[in-house]
Amino acid sequence: MLLFGKGGSNLLSSFRNINRRDFLKFCAGTATILGLSEAAVPRIARAVGDAAKKPAVIWLEGQDCAGCSISFINTSNPGTAEIVLDTISLRYHETLMAASGHVAEKALHDTIAEGGYVLIVEGSIPEADDRFCTIADTPFVKTVSKAAANAAAVIAIGACATYGGIPRGTPSKGQGVGWAMEKGLVPKKPLINLSTCPVHPEHLVGTIVYYLLFAKAPPMDSVGRPLMFFDKLIHDNCERRGHFDNGEFLQDWNGFGERNWCLYLKGCKGPFTYSDCPTRRWNDGLNWCIGCGAGCQGCAQPEFYTGMSPLYAKTTDIAGMKIETVGAVLAGATAIGLAGHFIGQAATGRLGKGGPAEDGGES
Amino acid sequence: MGKRITVDPVTRIEGHLKIEVELENGKVKNAWSSGTMARGFEALLTGKDPRDASWVTSRFCGVCFSVHTMASAAALDEAFGAEVPDGGRILRNLIMASEYLYDHIIHFYHLTALDYLDIMAIANYKGKDAELLAVKDKIVSLVKRGDTHPLTPRYEPDDFSVADPDIVIMAVKHYLDALKIQVTAKNMGAILGGRAPHFQTIVVGGVTQVPSVEQLGRFKSMLAEVTAFIKNVYMKDVLLFATGPLFPLAKLGVGGGHLNYLSYGSFPEDSSGKNLFFKPGVIKNGNIPNPEEFDQQKITESVKHAWYRAKDPVHPYEGEQVFDLNKSDAYSFVKAPRYDGMPFEVGPQARMFIMQEPNLMGLVKAGVKPGAVARHGARMLETVMLADQMQVWLGELIDLMGKPGFKVHDTANYEPPSSGEGSGYYEAPRGALGHWIKIKDKKIENYQAVVPSTWNASPRDEKGQRGQYEESLIGTPVPDPENPINIVRVIRSFDPCLACAVHVIHPRTNEILKFRIE
Repeated sequence: MLLFGKGGSNLLSSFRNINRRDFLKFCAGTATILGLSEAAVPRIARAVGDAAKKPAVIWLEGQDCAGCSISFINTSNPGTAEIVLDTISLRYHETLMAASGHVAEKALHDTIAEGGYVLIVEGSIPEADDRFCTIADTPFVKTVSKAAANAAAVIAIGACATYGGIPRGTPSKGQGVGWAMEKGLVPKKPLINLSTCPVHPEHLVGTIVYYLLFAKAPPMDSVGRPLMFFDKLIHDNCERRGHFDNGEFLQDWNGFGERNWCLYLKGCKGPFTYSDCPTRRWNDGLNWCIGCGAGCQGCAQPEFYTGMSPLYAKTTDIAGMKIETVGAVLAGATAIGLAGHFIGQAATGRLGKGGPAEDGGES
Repeated sequence: MGKRITVDPVTRIEGHLKIEVELENGKVKNAWSSGTMARGFEALLTGKDPRDASWVTSRFCGVCFSVHTMASAAALDEAFGAEVPDGGRILRNLIMASEYLYDHIIHFYHLTALDYLDIMAIANYKGKDAELLAVKDKIVSLVKRGDTHPLTPRYEPDDFSVADPDIVIMAVKHYLDALKIQVTAKNMGAILGGRAPHFQTIVVGGVTQVPSVEQLGRFKSMLAEVTAFIKNVYMKDVLLFATGPLFPLAKLGVGGGHLNYLSYGSFPEDSSGKNLFFKPGVIKNGNIPNPEEFDQQKITESVKHAWYRAKDPVHPYEGEQVFDLNKSDAYSFVKAPRYDGMPFEVGPQARMFIMQEPNLMGLVKAGVKPGAVARHGARMLETVMLADQMQVWLGELIDLMGKPGFKVHDTANYEPPSSGEGSGYYEAPRGALGHWIKIKDKKIENYQAVVPSTWNASPRDEKGQRGQYEESLIGTPVPDPENPINIVRVIRSFDPCLACAVHVIHPRTNEILKFRIE
């Protein structure tokens, strides 16, 4: 079964030399990430059992902070070594590869000539001027274009590579890979956007394994994000949702009683943001942005960052969309607009002092 | 003129760095370093809610994210008039120290070790240790399949490379073990910081989370696990390499550069902010036994060889970012910070010399000269020091939590002031970091940062004094221009972090000239 078309590498090949115990552990770990049951493990095992060659991966970094690379190596089941050494053939990755300078450049160009690899892009592409980001004297956009031309698929990771993220608001005007494809600067290829700042390691590993199992890009939403990770509004699955419904809003981070109350007044962008953060959480499930009291900053959304600012003040609309409509526009029938709740609560008198129906002083 | 070679990209660092050197008789005679990527965070922040700064500036760097948040929050604390309660202060220390643990471990094993190991020597391992044999099997199976990426290709091993199979196989095993332990260290930070990379809990006035007893218990046991790795593996590896196979490189002092060292100090031990765990100080001209007091007034930034409008060196508060792209003698976007008019090294070696760390002093006495190998030693020593101190801080935190009135945040001073200014001085894993903010009409009027890699990666100044990367390359042996492995060894010993070094761009200038040094 060829996954990446003619001349492509076979992703399944990676497992030939892993011992049985590690192999089953790998299958179980990836089944968990994909939300598949234990019953899927034999299927994954069957699918990946007849390998020949590790699939090649080129990982390019543009206007980035390396945060997505550092987040990726936080993957623990399967671990980084299992992915990087046993599963994929990582031909170019500035932060991890042994080679430097002309030796590194040769590895990149040899792999591009070979074709059929997965291209992972971290960091944005400067719209204002190519020269805001050059590597080996070559504008980043040219390298992405060349690498995308022979790629089987492109995975854009993190807020910067997907929609421009923070750099989009800077003078360099960082843009995502999808933008560059629309503009004709980069050849159009199957593009999977894994937003959030940084990328969630399980989103990336899960997407790679999805390819391995199904030989195609996963079903995606209107902004190119896999529905398996981004189909739910954070607000709808939030562990603090009950407090929201009760009109209990955290105002003082020291207050023991209100420690787990809703963070809407602290600027939480959960009502405007689609991601599985509430259930997947971060760092092996140890914590997440709302869990630690900071609130969601909306980093999974195309509007991030400028459209989400001010981060720590109450927000009633994002990117011109009022709270009544934001849910419907982004996710259709699954979303429940925030306003509906507020109206309902105001009607039943559950919103107390400082609730979102009043001005909480966080303008 | 000697032969000129370029290393671009310098990999296994944060950011995009290009190094050019001129060789004469197999040694570096002259050197230039330049960052090749810029975004322009300062312009982005202008006009924003000041509280955004501590969250956004974390993205200066995805490797040392917490320290930008910390320095930014400290600048905001001052500008807002917020007083961080002891609980918030200790939690900030623990979060940032967690970052040091993961960052230094990654730097040694994953970013730099490959420069010193001939990995393929593993095939010659003849021992019987089951765990090491598993490592051998893993690597040999990669070789048999004809695919050893990303461990190859590489610059070829040289005389300084370690090829003893017993040592190499142990180091590679530790490389793999460290991949797991760095996750544990990062996850410790996430328990208290929300997630990592890019912590969430640090805001002006303190932190957003009162940790639960369960969280602290988990943090404590993970700290014990990471500390055991640091003392039983990392420490021993560095000492073994520094006094064994790398001793010749250490004795030569390869990568020494200017022997000027600067530390702002870091990790406040009380609410005064003056009593710091990492001490501030200054060492000039290699006078290591006699550190002087640090005075931030003596910091200036030169733009003589950077693409900014000509101006005499000034303190960062009075700095400006007006590009002059036609300046013929400019060759970098990185400004040249100077202290007392001199170029300085910042980072672990600077900190440990300033603190007169006894083990580092012992290594120096044994013949290790300041330079690339000593930098690795200092980095390891401060990791041990911090891991121990984290136990102390954790104890202090638990004591405090048992007392009435425990607080983590100054809620009374959380709203942006109509005007104000503040500065935050911290030590990043890579060295001295300063953030400065000016607030007007409750919005950011001006934001500035002078980051560690700006000090280390700076270009020349008015007096023609090279930056520390450039100076440290002078005399470095490069017998084979096709295989400049010593150049990357020296540069990587600083743990470069370029994304933040070139983050500052003038808001109204989108033009960047491509530069060539002829």
